[in-house]
Amino acid sequence: MTAPGPSRRTVLRLGGGVVLSTAATAPAAATVAARRGSRRRRAYVVVLDGCRPAEIDGELGLDLMPTVRGLRDGGRRFPRARSLPVMETIPNHTMMMTGVRPDRSGVPANAIYDRDLGETRTMDRPADMRADTVLERCRRQGLTSGTVLSKEYLYGIFGPRATHRWEPFPVVPVSGHAPDAFTMDATLAMVDRFDPDLVFVNLGDIDRVGHSDLTGTSLQLARRAALASGDLQVSRLVDALKESGRWRDSLLVVLADHSMDWSRPDRSVSLTPVLTDDPLLAGNVVVGQNGGADLVYWTGPDRDRERAVARIRRLALATDGVLAAHDRRRASSWLRLGPEAGDVVVYARAGWRFSDPSPGSNPLPGNHGHPTTAPIPFFLSGGHPAVRRGTSPAAATTVDVAPTVAGFLGLRGAPRGGWDGVPRL
Amino acid sequence: MLAAGAAGTALLATSPVAPAAGSATTAAPASSSRAFRHGVASGDPLPTGVVLWTRVTPTAASAPGSGRGPRVEVRWEVADDPSFRWVVRRGRAVTGPWRDHTVKVDVGGLRPARWYWYRFTWQGRTSRVGRTRTAPAPDASPDRLRWGVVSCANLQAGWFSAYRHLAARDDLDLVLHLGDYLYEYAPTEYGAGQQDTDVRAHVPAREIVSLADYRQRHAQYKADPDLADLHARLPFVVTWDDHESANDAWRRGAENHQPDEGGWRRRRARAHRAYDEWMPARMSATADLGDGTRLYRRLRFGQLAELSMLDLRTYRDQQVATPLVDGEVSDPDRTITGRQQLHWLKDSLRPSRPQWRLVGNPVMIAPVTFASLPAELVDNVNDVTGLLPRDGSPYNVDQWDGYTDDRRELFAHIRDRGVRDVVFLTGDIHSGWAAELPYDAGTYPVPVDGEASAGVELVCTSVTSNNLKDITGTPPRTTSVAVETAIKADNPHVKYLDFDSHGFSVLDVTSERVQMDWWVISSRTDRRATAAWSTSWATPAGTARLERASRPVGGGR
Repeated sequence: MTAPGPSRRTVLRLGGGVVLSTAATAPAAATVAARRGSRRRRAYVVVLDGCRPAEIDGELGLDLMPTVRGLRDGGRRFPRARSLPVMETIPNHTMMMTGVRPDRSGVPANAIYDRDLGETRTMDRPADMRADTVLERCRRQGLTSGTVLSKEYLYGIFGPRATHRWEPFPVVPVSGHAPDAFTMDATLAMVDRFDPDLVFVNLGDIDRVGHSDLTGTSLQLARRAALASGDLQVSRLVDALKESGRWRDSLLVVLADHSMDWSRPDRSVSLTPVLTDDPLLAGNVVVGQNGGADLVYWTGPDRDRERAVARIRRLALATDGVLAAHDRRRASSWLRLGPEAGDVVVYARAGWRFSDPSPGSNPLPGNHGHPTTAPIPFFLSGGHPAVRRGTSPAAATTVDVAPTVAGFLGLRGAPRGGWDGVPRL
Repeated sequence: MLAAGAAGTALLATSPVAPAAGSATTAAPASSSRAFRHGVASGDPLPTGVVLWTRVTPTAASAPGSGRGPRVEVRWEVADDPSFRWVVRRGRAVTGPWRDHTVKVDVGGLRPARWYWYRFTWQGRTSRVGRTRTAPAPDASPDRLRWGVVSCANLQAGWFSAYRHLAARDDLDLVLHLGDYLYEYAPTEYGAGQQDTDVRAHVPAREIVSLADYRQRHAQYKADPDLADLHARLPFVVTWDDHESANDAWRRGAENHQPDEGGWRRRRARAHRAYDEWMPARMSATADLGDGTRLYRRLRFGQLAELSMLDLRTYRDQQVATPLVDGEVSDPDRTITGRQQLHWLKDSLRPSRPQWRLVGNPVMIAPVTFASLPAELVDNVNDVTGLLPRDGSPYNVDQWDGYTDDRRELFAHIRDRGVRDVVFLTGDIHSGWAAELPYDAGTYPVPVDGEASAGVELVCTSVTSNNLKDITGTPPRTTSVAVETAIKADNPHVKYLDFDSHGFSVLDVTSERVQMDWWVISSRTDRRATAAWSTSWATPAGTARLERASRPVGGGR
């Protein structure tokens, strides 16, 4: 699958400073509505980036997310839900919209070593995503979609796939994301103006505050404020859908892309010095650091790869704070990561983080990417009668979002090779 | 109905249930049932199979443990209905004195999540009819599971009214027995209360040591009408604690095993052999005898739950001896599970397994400090809970508190892997508890690096075995209240504690939450004891926390 080529788009400035770009070929909303009758279904996917399930439950008696909890308890809930490797933002958002795992989409992590480029980089290019998305599937089948993604790298990788697209603004320096209030302003403006059939929203505050919280190892005031704000933004969306009459035709998918784990300053693992101290590995390995996961790439001769992988695993497993070191090829049946993820996938223990290439590279106490950050909130809400109530013991994952939304919207077909996810309605 | 409880708590009491008369609606005619006088039982349900059990007494001389009597062939049938019009499986099994005339059949070819009825026949004489239920299909999502939960049934200390009340319910799928199914003691050695009064005397009238002794003791318990009725009505999933062999058993010995009783390994092998003969459980994954005695095993209940039953006696190191308690309890070389079983348990607690990871856990895993307990009560608590050291050491070293490195490793696994919905179901200590499982008891409930609790533990009380009020000889809700208050104050993760009651629990599992109801009996020495609801606690999915539930599940009847 090649990335979408440059397409002509129209830039539209709406009230409140919201700027949207729209594909020039998009059918007019009125045309779509007329074609499918007045009872159009609409699907909204809202990602509470980095939210932990316990935070919705009101951990420590702090009732910070009453709206989200109310929607969850009144909808279809999946308490077993998990993020998928690598438990990072970009790959899991990619799985949500493609319905396939990273070995098929080409997007295994936030940070990879680009062998062609010869350097580590963020996967923020539209061409990085090699699989089809439900956003494009909508467009091909005469429906419209919109992306309202608070993070610059998500905006980057999803590119112009959606019919309507918001560029995050204003962006907070360092964090590279737009505050949730602005993200929701843009969402509501897009829904009001274009009424897309599918809207994909990322609210980044909870995650960004989690990363940036340098004050200690427990939940702090800024995080609590972000949780309360996230709840407010979701309630704004629900209120708007109800006021406009769309709610009764809507599926609302709420989930996180990953959870969050905090580590003390002394619980940081730097694999690069450990590996480069080894005569076989020196000068022949590169580490792509992803918070709680390190992707280790062998850059030496192919003939030495097996031996090098064994050495990398042995050295990593002997390092304090390392939980597991998987041979990416041998674990491919369940890890489902392609060659972009390198040769060895190393996970940190809970309460630890990676900092590569040097001990000062990752000062953030809040991290994810390792298995302890896999549990996520995941529920289906909305006013459409297709949304069943109750709790399911099924093991829902982020890759289920695409087939769930596709089934709800009546999108025909499936990716070549089928969905990796399961429709959860 | 609602009635005022002794502690001022509203109690939901059951209507009286008549003591069992040795046979209920499923009983066979007396002349026939004499050949099957030890009843019928089933256990370890799988989606398409279940273990069926009975014992045949072909001649008067073929008494349990006698080693006498002929080789006989017993027929068995499994039907869709209690009148056996629709027999779905049938077969034959050979038994004889080499296996104490017990019969154990692993029946396959059944359908998932269904009730079945079964019976045995020998020379035209038919056993009572038993009822059993298969587990849900592996990929099924059952709405709920509802189990009776029991432990610690000392026959000398009272009547098995708890079993009678469980058998009277019509809403249960199975019974989970967490150990101390029988006791090894001689009459007068361990009975009811301070004086060790025997409500009923053990048979044989000595501490059981030989294989014949263990067989006779099993036979005595199986002949108890309340237990027999419960076995006939529901499948059991069992594990042993120490008293199925001897008190405070460990890898190479037991507190209640002396050198003049022979070698420990030989005695334990006899205990395990008798257990394999007399209990409806798969050991080493089969219902066959002599092919191994591994009791830890997993049973799956669709996507909703998986039950991992532990054996915490066969592989454990000896308890630490005070005053070295503080150092040795955390020695990484000491183990309560054994390496192989701990590895297996960690594999049980993987995210890919069904939603609720239930662990049948013979002794408590929640850390409990007794540091501020009044000194004069330490011995009494020690007598009940097992084993508080008398030098003031603040831990129960017979439990996981005495083997903290295994617990540390297990909890680290749960946290590292992001495992949720872990529930330990526990017996052993003759008291009811509900506790969360802190990663760091010192800072609890504040999360450490994100998460605070590894799961929850729900502990059922004893069917009859002595509790704190029995030991102190004080009325219920007097002495114990101070002890409970002190323990809860020192251990904020302990949400519920009842040192005074005997009874049973009911576990209700839905995708939304797991709830345990504690039911208490009016008196263990009264054959007609009533049962009353005491309290209920639930853990909502994904939280690893406990909250009080307002009412018990089901109607009870």
